[in-house]
Amino acid sequence: MSDVQLNFIPKFEQSERIRVLEARNQELGTNGMRQFDDYGDHRCWLNIGPFPKMDELPSTKQGFRMSSEQWGEDFRFMMESMEPHIYPCETIVGEVYWEIGLLRPCGTTGWKQAPNADEIEKLMEEAIALGGFPNAYGHTCPDMAIVLQEGYDGILARIRKSLKMYTDLGNETKTSYLRGLEHVCLGCIHYIENYAALAHRLADEAQDESEKERFAGIAACCDNIAHKAPETFYEAVQTVQFAILFDRCTGHGNGYGRMDLYLIDFYRKGIEDGSLTRKAAREMVAEMYMKLRGQYFSFGGRLEDGSDATNEMSWVGLEAYDLVGDYNNLGVMWHPDIDPEYYDYACDVLARHGESTPVLINWDLMHEAELRSGIPAEDAWKVVYSGCQWYCIPGKEWCGHDTSEINEVLPMMRALERAAEKEPEDFDGLYALYEEEFHRTMKAYQAAEAAIDRVRGESQPEMFTSLIAHGPIERGIDIDGPRGVDYQFSSLNILGIPNVADSFTAIHELVYEKKMFTIREVYEACKNDWADNEIMRQRFLNQPKYGNGLSLPDEMFVRVCNSTQQIVESYYNQRGGQPMRPSLFALMSHVEKRAQMGATPDGRHAGEALAHGINPQVGVSKRGLVPLATSAASVDMRKFQGGSIQVDIQPKFFDGKENRLSYIRDFSTAFFKQGGQQINLHIMDLNKLRDAIDHPEKPEYRNLVVRVTGYCARFITLSRDYQEDFVARVNHANMS
Amino acid sequence: MNRDMEKDKKLLTIDVSHGTTHDGPGMRTTVFVKGCSLHCLWCQNPESIHVKNEVWWDSSSCIGCGSCAAACPSGAIEMRPDRIHIDREKCRACGACADACPAMAMTRQGQEYDLGTLLQEVLRDRAFYEQFGGGVTCSGGEPLLQADFIAPFFQRLKEEGISTALDTCGHAPRENLEKVLPYTDYILYDMKIFDSEAHRKYTGQTNERILENLLFAADYMRSAEHPMKLWIRTPLIYDATATVENICAIGAFLRENVLDVLERWEMPAFNGVCVSKYEKLERKWAYDGMGAMSRAQVGPLKQAALEHLPEEKVLVSGMIREE
Repeated sequence: MSDVQLNFIPKFEQSERIRVLEARNQELGTNGMRQFDDYGDHRCWLNIGPFPKMDELPSTKQGFRMSSEQWGEDFRFMMESMEPHIYPCETIVGEVYWEIGLLRPCGTTGWKQAPNADEIEKLMEEAIALGGFPNAYGHTCPDMAIVLQEGYDGILARIRKSLKMYTDLGNETKTSYLRGLEHVCLGCIHYIENYAALAHRLADEAQDESEKERFAGIAACCDNIAHKAPETFYEAVQTVQFAILFDRCTGHGNGYGRMDLYLIDFYRKGIEDGSLTRKAAREMVAEMYMKLRGQYFSFGGRLEDGSDATNEMSWVGLEAYDLVGDYNNLGVMWHPDIDPEYYDYACDVLARHGESTPVLINWDLMHEAELRSGIPAEDAWKVVYSGCQWYCIPGKEWCGHDTSEINEVLPMMRALERAAEKEPEDFDGLYALYEEEFHRTMKAYQAAEAAIDRVRGESQPEMFTSLIAHGPIERGIDIDGPRGVDYQFSSLNILGIPNVADSFTAIHELVYEKKMFTIREVYEACKNDWADNEIMRQRFLNQPKYGNGLSLPDEMFVRVCNSTQQIVESYYNQRGGQPMRPSLFALMSHVEKRAQMGATPDGRHAGEALAHGINPQVGVSKRGLVPLATSAASVDMRKFQGGSIQVDIQPKFFDGKENRLSYIRDFSTAFFKQGGQQINLHIMDLNKLRDAIDHPEKPEYRNLVVRVTGYCARFITLSRDYQEDFVARVNHANMS
Repeated sequence: MNRDMEKDKKLLTIDVSHGTTHDGPGMRTTVFVKGCSLHCLWCQNPESIHVKNEVWWDSSSCIGCGSCAAACPSGAIEMRPDRIHIDREKCRACGACADACPAMAMTRQGQEYDLGTLLQEVLRDRAFYEQFGGGVTCSGGEPLLQADFIAPFFQRLKEEGISTALDTCGHAPRENLEKVLPYTDYILYDMKIFDSEAHRKYTGQTNERILENLLFAADYMRSAEHPMKLWIRTPLIYDATATVENICAIGAFLRENVLDVLERWEMPAFNGVCVSKYEKLERKWAYDGMGAMSRAQVGPLKQAALEHLPEEKVLVSGMIREE
């Protein structure tokens, strides 16, 4: 009963080949080869040590320049230096060992190489001091259909055509960028050719007929897709696998789109001509998931005409996860007209595995949010969940998701400090100060982001992502440069909304309604971390809290969300002057920032973690799952770039309930119909988690996967802090 | 009663619980009222028995600040080394201690709702009722003791298209039942002990009125204008209700009198989760320390039930211990 996810009930039998591949994958996940700081086994590349040819790197030889062209040269050199390896039983191949950030400064610190880095740093410091962190990349979504339809030769031809045009026109900035892109494309082709060559050699050497056949198959596939568009389902999956590896070598994680839409034609063709079976397709996709660390693929949603987009590939994509039950990050995009059998299957997978895969997302809401932002209907329907709680239009949208952030607690505490002096007459007076302070944070954020934006395309380009996007090649501008793609809102994570809502609710009641305390007393108490004031702290802690379906705090939550949206959207970015959009999420900053966060009037002590996204502060949601959902759905989510609720329940929650599948289906459906955006659902046995912290060596914990925040990781590979944060979450989930 | 008058009516509750799945079909909101006409020895909601306000003390939330004792006008609260003791004789249930408590360790058991507020709260879950085929249940305590509130409350819910369930012990004046039935979709009717004297011994009252009201409700159902469903509930309590003899007697009565309108006979197996409530009220629970029933204990009872009713109508629910 309680063994969900440690021992899920299989629907498909694993072949010996898949068992071998899964064992290797688990080994790599737990032996540190995929370890990524505190975040667990989150890394796509295998850590075999530092890049051995730093001396020969173009930027070493030429002298380092902040230049997308040189970035492309370095990337090409890195790709060409990766020795191919084909492991036992594999048919989907490819492994990478470094990312560009290990070779040259890029990513969120790329600006440090800019000539005006000192100036940028000063602006960054100002923004951070006021609660803004203005830099990010990742979680956009390239358009996989481009490489699947054109192949690398097709893309290369477009780059060369554009290069010629801008050369003729004398635009040196664009020609330099396009030469960089040409390097990137050639590097990718070379990497695949290396695999083809190795496979040919192994095929020649192999004694065993079936091994010979396996290597010959890999060789033929790589020969073809190094240049041309894939022709078969197998080639298409291998193309996607390579493309994601290349994209990940840029150093970030992205969403990889609606797999069911871009693979369905290959799948149907294979089924029709008899070259493919559903079982074979399932195994190929499963192989890819294991090698790729299951990047964010999505299924379902609607087509352009509004009809349900679910097809056979939607099934195969989920079945592949069901087959292996390993690390994954899939999303199923619900809407009222989704194939009910398919949605049942998605809930069944969740119920049996219990590890928050797939994530359930309200597609109509994302679609309306994109329309609301001004994206035309002919693009808006393409919207896809792109990881964590984000979404975007594949290949056409770059929003700087991921780590950009506004910590709302800081402007709130500044407002309190000012109020302690000014003693505003009523709550609205305090709230006006808060909005002023929020604007101050936003101004500093905007200035720093703009300074980074001015050098972003050259200092931290995302050139492989640009290769399979709509615009960068023709415009000669990187996807993250100004107007490299059509839609470039700035996406800002908002940290601490539940804390601000609960703090304001308590202040509203105790200071302005019951007049038990003055605003100065509240400010002083927080400043001193409630020292000698436990009775007062208890009073604030025990005011009604967001997350319990109570009207008072929920109304405050909506008020805070709405002013957040209005304030954030009134600022524009430097990338084509598009508005900023708030996203109701925090990656891990609610834990990471806790050390520097003072006490808050919601009764929180200094140093305690803040609330995660729109999830209530841990421990305050006491009335169960439905009130939690009602609270979260009380805000109009179309105004935000995503926001998920984390539902962590223990297996005993289901005792006496008729069946898990229907409960998950009906609960999520009702939540979505109320206006909810996304559910990440775990079914976790608390005792098992605690035991896993103390006994990570037990074999049954090797595959214990949890959704830490927006991503999954093997539990035993997380740092102790993150493990304990997760256990606290499950422990406090009052879901009876 | 006109609607202006309804505004002033108040319902005395102990809790409004959202997302319940044990009080009728689907997912529901259960409104637990305060005040009961029976005093069952095993009562799962002891704070619901008395109509008068009560405070209870939760040791896990208490910070031991003594604000409650200082605020009590009757000197009923004593700070003991191991706990806070409330002298229930002296306590006038004024709630001053609960107001003074910063930690919500001392809380009033008894909250009044007006109709508008309660409707607003339960209607927030509408999407869940629709999706799960659920609705709103009034439980208790004994809801029929506050029929003048429950009837218009159910009426409004029906107007909103929301399914209603009345969870009753049946021990209430006939006219109260008559007020509520027109707006009730599910009757969850307790039949605990068939032998009237034994019924009195365990619940404080004989059961004639309960049986008569059940027959009345069944008759009402037969000619009702809206479809109604009847679930009989017999909690399985060691020695008291969980005897083959008692189950047989109830089964025979049901078969003879209400089989045509009966949808389900549910026997929730004993559970001990309410013991903490007794501790908070400083009362000793007669069933303290008793665990879940075993399959061997429940088996013969279900068998006895099946001798009288078809299998699809008989359900044993709750936690059952494997051997």
